Amino acid sequence: MTRSGQFAVGCAIFVALTVSTPARADDQDVIDYRVHIMKTMEEQAAAIGQILQQKAPADNFTIHAQVLAITAATAKRAFESKVLGGEAKADVWTHWADFSKRLDDLTAATADLASTAKAGGVAAAAAKAQTALNCKSCHDIYVERKK
Amino acid sequence: MKHTITIAVHMALLAICLPTVASADDQDVIDYREHIMKTLEEQSAAMGMILSTAVPGDNTVSHLQAIALTAQVALKSFEPKVLGGEAKPEVWNNWADFSKRMNEFSKNTALVAAQAKEKGSDDPALADKVVDALSCKSCHDAYRKEKK
Repeated sequence: MTRSGQFAVGCAIFVALTVSTPARADDQDVIDYRVHIMKTMEEQAAAIGQILQQKAPADNFTIHAQVLAITAATAKRAFESKVLGGEAKADVWTHWADFSKRLDDLTAATADLASTAKAGGVAAAAAKAQTALNCKSCHDIYVERKK
Repeated sequence: MKHTITIAVHMALLAICLPTVASADDQDVIDYREHIMKTLEEQSAAMGMILSTAVPGDNTVSHLQAIALTAQVALKSFEPKVLGGEAKPEVWNNWADFSKRMNEFSKNTALVAAQAKEKGSDDPALADKVVDALSCKSCHDAYRKEKK
């Protein structure tokens, strides 16, 4: 192979490995799917927030906590495919170790919240809800809000 | 005097019959039920993507459990008669039918979630059962006024 041929192959490999891929049709499915999961968590966290502010019936607190915990456990899998787009910043994949650790922590915290709520209701779980639903700390780093 | 009483009675009747305009507290009621219905929408859409093989099915059982749990609280969130959001007045005008449909939805989604957990997401009969349980359109056509 000539020097120019080697250079071309090298460039192609470098580009393929390092440059972010724009979303294709299949990629859009990946984005849509993780958006469904994140929006579910957003809705459930908002419902829990309303209950904590006594703006919604407390009877449903445990169920919301359970749905949140179930959904949090599916979130990491939804981000495993490296597809840029939606509201996810590229930092999700460039700092995957940190991002996935934070999702694991969220999964553990929401599972704890759900089991505490199941055992003791909203009174027992309210304090844990503040910690479990500390969404902003991750969103500030990894979410790029669409205008 | 008699005329004043007649007006007062008419005003009272009007207050009973007219749909209530949402107040600040009423907006909380609307927001809360919308969180629930949007959760159902997002989770159903995720299930739809799995059934159409657009995404892998690893999370099938989780999505079905989330739907079944959320369906349990949906009816309660509509109990306060507060018009607004995307709910048509028919929700409360035809409460017996609406609540019957909601209870069936809750029962069917619980059943399909339990079956998926027991038999796994590879069960060939699962897809049809999910489609039956998530037949949202029939209720939405009657009771939902979708915002543009």
